[in-house]
Order: sequence, then structure tokens, then C-alpha cells
Amino acid sequence: MTAPQTGTKPNGPVAAVFVASGIASLVLGVFVTLNEVSEEINGFLRFDANYGLGSGVGPLSGKVALATIAFVVSWFVLHVLWRGKELNFGAVFIVSLILVGLGFALTFPPIFLLFAPAE
Amino acid sequence: MEVTERELYTILHGLVLGTLFLLAFGGGMAGLWSLRSQLVTEEGVKERTPRLLIGTAVMAIVAWLTVISGTFIAYPWYRATPPEGTNLEDPAALADFPRYLLLAQEKTAGWHEFGMEWKEHVAWIAPFLATAVAFAVAYYGVQLIRRGDIRRAVMIFFVLAFAAAGVAGLFGAFITKAAPVA
Repeated sequence: MTAPQTGTKPNGPVAAVFVASGIASLVLGVFVTLNEVSEEINGFLRFDANYGLGSGVGPLSGKVALATIAFVVSWFVLHVLWRGKELNFGAVFIVSLILVGLGFALTFPPIFLLFAPAE
Repeated sequence: MEVTERELYTILHGLVLGTLFLLAFGGGMAGLWSLRSQLVTEEGVKERTPRLLIGTAVMAIVAWLTVISGTFIAYPWYRATPPEGTNLEDPAALADFPRYLLLAQEKTAGWHEFGMEWKEHVAWIAPFLATAVAFAVAYYGVQLIRRGDIRRAVMIFFVLAFAAAGVAGLFGAFITKAAPVA
């Protein structure tokens, strides 16, 4: 925790949404990759068939639903935890960037296809 | 001159929302870049903050609308399965099944295997980042000029959101050209 900057609001709520967006990006990337790993996970991620979330979307429905849930839940939890607090924003931002970077990387086909079983 | 219902939808998804996204990014980025005490007076900050908030909020809303409509309306059209017995190596029989049309030929298969596989996923990172940006701008308002650390982070996330949407938009345009959803 650092001292609040004079005359401005504490940065906790902004830190919360930055980290939440990083978590959501990573969750998306992880499920994109896990979808390639096994048929069971592929079946689980078909939220359109399993839970009626859209029609004909396939496993993409589960990947994006889980990433969005991760975004909303982690934002809410971190917001409650960090509300009114002044954090080391540089460190928070670097963590957020790493999470987003990992998420980006895991959505890149040459990377996530590395985890697909050999045909 | 005719536009099918699906073509109209893809125009809305790609062209209309895409243009709004570009406009909101351009306006928002210009506002964030110049939000420095040596460049703007106190009055100037008050004058431009609502515009900055509108630009970043519009970008976030448009990003959500684009990925939701793309995923749950256009994508099922793209990945529709041909009827049993269709020759999956005959492009002429696959005109209404863009995914299978692309995969039917070696010269176009990469548009699906790389382009669509990346586009459909990376696009979803844009609304998360754009929401974070819009929230930060709404939360700090006129105080953002005194928070250089937050302003720089917001600008980086703003650019990353644009990059994610840009990759998706670019591949969307190429894929639609190679195998239109019509």
C-alpha cells in the first residue's frame, strides 16, 4: 500500500478493473487451449448445447461465457477488497499486462495448437 | 442491387460498429494523449473530460456489442454444417457454408485455420480492456490529469484493445471476402 496522491481519489477501484481484465484475458486463453487438449473439455465448453447459450456457437460459447464471468466476478471481488485503498499502481499494471499478454498469446493458433493431441 | 439479411447484418457488425469503434478510439486517444497539465488549462480539462468519457464509453459499448453479435449471430452462420452427403471437397456445393468452403481448398484453408481461429478468440479481449479504460476515465474524471501513472496505463490498455479489435476486424474483412456469409 502506498500513500494516496494529494487531491485525487484512491486508485484501488481502477486497479481492480485492470487486474480483472487481465484475469478475464487469461481465462479466455486458458480455455481456448484446454479446448484443444481433450474431447471432454470441448464437450463441457459447448454452453450452447449444454445451457442454451446461443445456437450453433459450439465451444466458443463456453470460452467467452467463462471469461466474461471471470471478468465480472474478479472485478467485483477486487473492487470490494481494494475500495478506498491506494495501491502501488505500477506493480498492479505490470501484473495486468502480464495476464493480458498471456491471454493474447494463448489465443494465437500456433501456440494453442501446440497443446492439441497429435493426429 | 440487393442486400440479403445476412449481408445487412455483416455490414452492421463489421462496417457500422467497426467505424464507430475507430471513431471512438481516435477521439479517445487524442483526448488521453493531450491530457497533460502543460498542454491544457483547468477550463480546458473540464471542457474535454465529458468528451473523453463519451469516447471511451462508446468504444467499450461498441466492443461488447460487436463481440456478442459476432459470436452469437454471425459465427453460427459461418460454422453451419452442410447436409449429410455433401461433397466437402467441392467448393460449388459449399457456398452457404463458409467454414467448409474455406477448408475445401488448400489455398483458402489458412483463412479458417489461422485467421478465423485467432479472430474469434482475440476479439473478446477488446471489451475487457475497453471497459477498464472507460471505468478509469469515469472514475477519475477531471482528476485524471493529475494521475499520470493511471493515464499512461489507460492509454496502453486503450491501444491494446484497439489492437485486439484490429486483428479481428482485419481477418473478418479478409475472411468475408474469401467466403461471404450470405
